[in-house]
Order: sequence, then C-alpha cells, then structure tokens
Amino acid sequence: MMERKERKPYWKHTKWQMLASVVPFLVLIIVLPLYAESLNGERFLGFPLGYFLSAHGIAVIAVFTVASFVNRQDAIDHWHGAHEDT
Amino acid sequence: MSVTSRTRFVNPRLGTYFGIFASSLAGLVMLLLIFEELGTSDAVLRWAMLLGPLAFYAAIGLAAPTREPIEFFAAGRRVPAGYTGLSMAVATMGATGIVATAGVFFLIGFDALCLMIGGLAGYVIMSVMLAPFFRKFGTFTVPSYLGRRFESKTVRLLAAAVMAVPALLMLAAELRMGAFAAGWLVGQAQGLMIVALVATFVVTSALGGMRSLTWSGSAESIGAVLALLVPVTIVAVMVTNFPLPQLTNGPLLRALMHNEAAQGLPIVDAPALGFALPGEEAAHIVKRFTAPFGAIGPSAFVVAMLTVMAGVAASPWLIPRVTMTPGVYETRKSLGWATVYFGLIMLTTAAVAVYMRDFLMDIVKGGAPESLPDWMHHLAGLGFAVIDEGAPLTYTSFAFPRDSLLLSLPVAAGLPAVFLYFAAAGVVAAALVGVGATASAVGNVIAEDVVNGLSWDPLPRTTRLNTARLAMAGTAVGGGLVAMLAPTDPLRLLLWSLALAGSAFFPVLVLSIWWKRMNDFGAIAGMASGFGVAVLTIFAGEANILGLDGALAGILGIPAGALGAVLASIATPQPSRSVLELVREIRIPGGEVIYDREMRLLRLKNRERS
Repeated sequence: MMERKERKPYWKHTKWQMLASVVPFLVLIIVLPLYAESLNGERFLGFPLGYFLSAHGIAVIAVFTVASFVNRQDAIDHWHGAHEDT
Repeated sequence: MSVTSRTRFVNPRLGTYFGIFASSLAGLVMLLLIFEELGTSDAVLRWAMLLGPLAFYAAIGLAAPTREPIEFFAAGRRVPAGYTGLSMAVATMGATGIVATAGVFFLIGFDALCLMIGGLAGYVIMSVMLAPFFRKFGTFTVPSYLGRRFESKTVRLLAAAVMAVPALLMLAAELRMGAFAAGWLVGQAQGLMIVALVATFVVTSALGGMRSLTWSGSAESIGAVLALLVPVTIVAVMVTNFPLPQLTNGPLLRALMHNEAAQGLPIVDAPALGFALPGEEAAHIVKRFTAPFGAIGPSAFVVAMLTVMAGVAASPWLIPRVTMTPGVYETRKSLGWATVYFGLIMLTTAAVAVYMRDFLMDIVKGGAPESLPDWMHHLAGLGFAVIDEGAPLTYTSFAFPRDSLLLSLPVAAGLPAVFLYFAAAGVVAAALVGVGATASAVGNVIAEDVVNGLSWDPLPRTTRLNTARLAMAGTAVGGGLVAMLAPTDPLRLLLWSLALAGSAFFPVLVLSIWWKRMNDFGAIAGMASGFGVAVLTIFAGEANILGLDGALAGILGIPAGALGAVLASIATPQPSRSVLELVREIRIPGGEVIYDREMRLLRLKNRERS
C-alpha cells in the first residue's frame, strides 16, 4: 500500500505522464491530416504518403501511445508503491 | 482483504470456448458453401446464415445465468483485457460504424478519416484520463459514479436523465442498421427485424445481465470482425495475391488516382466548416479518394474528429465496460486492445472502399454501356447500385446507396453468395453488440440510479436484479419504438449521440478526476450547459440557422460544458473534506475498489443489525 507522503509526488508524476502521452498525440492527429495533400506526392508501400500517414500512421501512433502509456504508468505505480496487489 | 489478484478469477478456458465458437461459425459458413454448390435453395441459405449465429449468441447468453449483483452488473470483474477491448471496439460505433463508414469512405474517400481518427483518439484519451480511475471507483454506471464522487443525488439523477438521450439515439441507430441487414438477408420487413433484434437482446440478457451480454457480446464481436475480414481478405488475395487488405491496397490506390484523374473526377475544396457527409440515399462519387477536404472542410474535419473523440472517451455506455476487467492495469491494457481492433476494423472498411472504387473505375474506363459486367447488373438487381445507361459511361453513371457498399464487394468480386450472406450476418452481429452496450447501460442506469435514485444503498438483491432485467428489456423496446416511429439516418444518429455524450459528460468526467476543486454545482452546471448547448446546436444545424452541421455540435457543447463546470465550481464553496479524500483515493490504482468496499461495509452493517 502506498505511503501517504508519496501521494503528491505520485500524482505529479502521473500528471506529467498524462501530458506526455496526450499532448504530442493530439498535436499529431490534428496536424497530420492538414498536411496530407502536400505529402500525397510521395509514396510508401505504394500508398500516397499523406493518406497513409493519416490512416495507417495515426492508427499505429494511437496503439503506440496507449502501449507506452500502459508501461510507463505501470512503472510509475510501482515506483511510488501505488500499484495493485498481485 | 478483498483485494484480488489481476488474473486469479479469469477463466483459463475462455480461449478454448471462443475457439470452439469461431470454429463452429467457420464450419457453418463452409457447410453453407457446400450446400450452395449442391443447389440448396437461396432462402434456406439466407435463413441459416441469420438464425445459426443468432442461436449461438442467445445460447451463450443463456448459459451464463447469475443471481449475484457483481456478476449481473460487472460480469464478476473478470473479463480479460483482450475481450473487453474487442467488445468495446465493435460497440463504439457498432454496425453503423462498419456499414456506413465503408460507404462514406467510398463516396468521399479521405474525408471519412475524421470518424476513424476520432474513435482512435477517444480510446487514447479514455485510457489515459478516464478509464483507470473509473475502474478504481468501480460503480456500474456513470451516474452512480458522478453521484458518489460529488455526494449529490441531484447530480446522479441529472446524469441519468442526460445520458439516456445519446444512448437511446445510438440504440435506435444500431437497431435500424441491424434491421436493414437482417431484413435484406431474409427478405422481411425492417419493423419485424427490429422486433427480432429486440427479442434476441432480451433473451440474451435476461438470465445473466452484463455477464451474459459480455460473453455473448464477445462472440458477436468475433463474428462481426470475421464476417468483415474474411470476404475482404479473399478479395485481397484475388487482386494482390496477399491476404492483408489493409496494407496491400496501396499500389491499387495509386492506379486509382491516375484513373480518377483521367476520368475527370474533380478536386473539390469544401468550405472550412462544410460538412457534406453522404446520407442514406443513392449518391455518386463526389471527389477523388485521396484528395483531402473535398466534402468535409479542414476545420470541420478537426471539429468532427474532436467531437467523436470526446463522445467515445466519455460515452456512458462504453465506460462501464472497463469496470468488468480484473484491475486498473487490465483496464489500461483493454483500451490498447480496443485501439488495435478499432483501427483494424476501420482500415478494413477503407480497403473495401478502395477495392470497390477500383472495380468501378475499371468499368468506367471500358466506356460502353453494353460492356457492363454481370456483377454490376446483379448489384443493380439487388438494389445496391443505380445505373444510368446513357452512353458514354462516366463515374456519374453510377450511384450507390451508402449502406450497401460493404455488401456490394462480395458481389463485385464474384464470390459465392454465402460470403455476401456472411457479411450481412456480421452486420447483424455488430448491431447486437451496439444494442447490448446501449440498452444495458440505460437499463442499469434506470434500475440503479432512477428507481433507486434517492438512496445510496442498493435495493434488496432479487428486487435489484429483476428491476434491472425489466429496465433493460423496457429500454430495448423503447429503442425499437424510436427506430420504427422516427426512422432517421443511423450515421446521423450516431454522430449526434457522440456529440451529446461528449458535450454533456467529457468535461465533467475529466474534471471530476483531474480537478479536485470541482464540486456538485460544477457538475450540474457542466452537464446542463454542455448538453443544452449541444442540443440547441443540433437543432440549429438541422434548421440551417448557424451554418454549422448538427454533427459538429461538440464545437460549442464541449467548451460550454467545461466553462459551466469551472465557473460554477469556482463561484460556490469548496468540496467537503470527505469528497477531497475520495478524489485522492480514486487517483491511486492500488487498494480496494471503492464501490466494492462500500458494499462490503454495508453487508457487515446489515449483518450486525440482524
């Protein structure tokens, strides 16, 4: 069980992790489609690059964001003793 | 101590059970393929494809009865992350997400990505900002959570009233889409099929509540994903020799770009807030596939994406699903799985659109009406396409109803009819997942937060479960009546539903965790202002007053909700010490589930009394 004095550092750490996960992701999903047209001249796996990044790219980025968040947040939970009992 | 291991209660045979289900479904499809070759009547094949899987789903539901509230409302909190993620991915947009999105991709290409990106972003936000904390709290419904978090029965009742509106819209959309596919499959009226879907839901959920719905929903989700993937994968092998339709249509897409340019398909620039989403009626292709912002303007694209994101992240019929996972860590993981499955589903629908556009452009290149292939006449005969045979053929010679596109692909590729019926059965399965998610969420809210809304203690066990059973059945019947009496485009209903859910709940739910200072006045003002502004924006959009489409209501609703919540909280006294302590506890994953502890203490108190 987590010690009381660990609560504040734990929450601070969690807040930074939240921002690190959410902000770059939101910026990417807003910006990438807006530049798709100019990227469509290039190709990747046969796809026009702008379309590929906006569809497949964002799907991969979303999975990566959640996966890295799950690992990082679990490490934070263990570091501060806030994790669930196993 | 009732803190449990993450994996102790997960049934180790789940993989075997669902393996048996998937094999049985594959066996049914193969058996029907053999029967088709042997000349069995078409009607028998169609009915078998509809009723066979439905019997499976109902049997799974009936095989999971329970009399325990924790089982009935949260499936015993032992649904592994993978199954939770799969069910959530299919339930998020249900059959509408699969069928309509394929059509929208076909008709407006790139611009349909706002739905996909919005959904993916919704899971990311939910996993980081909402779901783990909701899981730690452990209540079965969103209004129960909000009521307890703010120690206010008014908040609880208001949340119950507000959540019913978007959930019923989504329920009606799913029933309509499911009835469309089932009605087409067996040639019956859609009204009758709505009744059949409601009856299937009632039978599936009656004995085991969420326990039944979770396991039958997992089977339905597997069925829906297989029915989507199998025909498209076969087409991918036929066209590209590689069974990965999501990744191998690139070269086809490049050829399509050249064909579209050669045929004079226009590059259109939509106004910044233009939102010309195709409706249900037959429509021509309006723009080149990969050219962005021809039907949906760049600002509208971003707003639609963020609205869908907020709606998915805060939807009161998805969030309670996470309380069924074995722990907070599994909850986070389940959203990762949901992202994987949802991405797979959406990329597959995009591949369907690319293949169909490619087939169509090949015909247009041919030029002469007399050279039309048989499959195009077949599609027209099925009502899946409208052909204007005035020579010479151009892309405007063909119009396609948006919702028939997914079912058109097996016909265009010349696959046996059973694959077409399988695809339709998959749509019905996806609709049942959507119906299950929304009707159970509203039913649980009625039983827990409306009938028993003035008390924090639950009703006696049997009364509690029977009330929930009645409420779920009543909600499904109500949704069926809405779908029959006020038929509206399911995609519109879905987008309105997400806009309303996002506006009313997203700011309040996020702030309830991340801002300790928020109090019950803030919650009431946030929900009321977000919901009210979103409703007004939708009405104004439908009446063409604002020049803003109703689906974009989140642009005003979400800031209004956030502003209402913040201003009302600041203007009123701080929350009590007990509320602040509760928020601090929500933020820590370890320790006992808050709701389970409350129930345990209540049981102890009752035992002492007696």
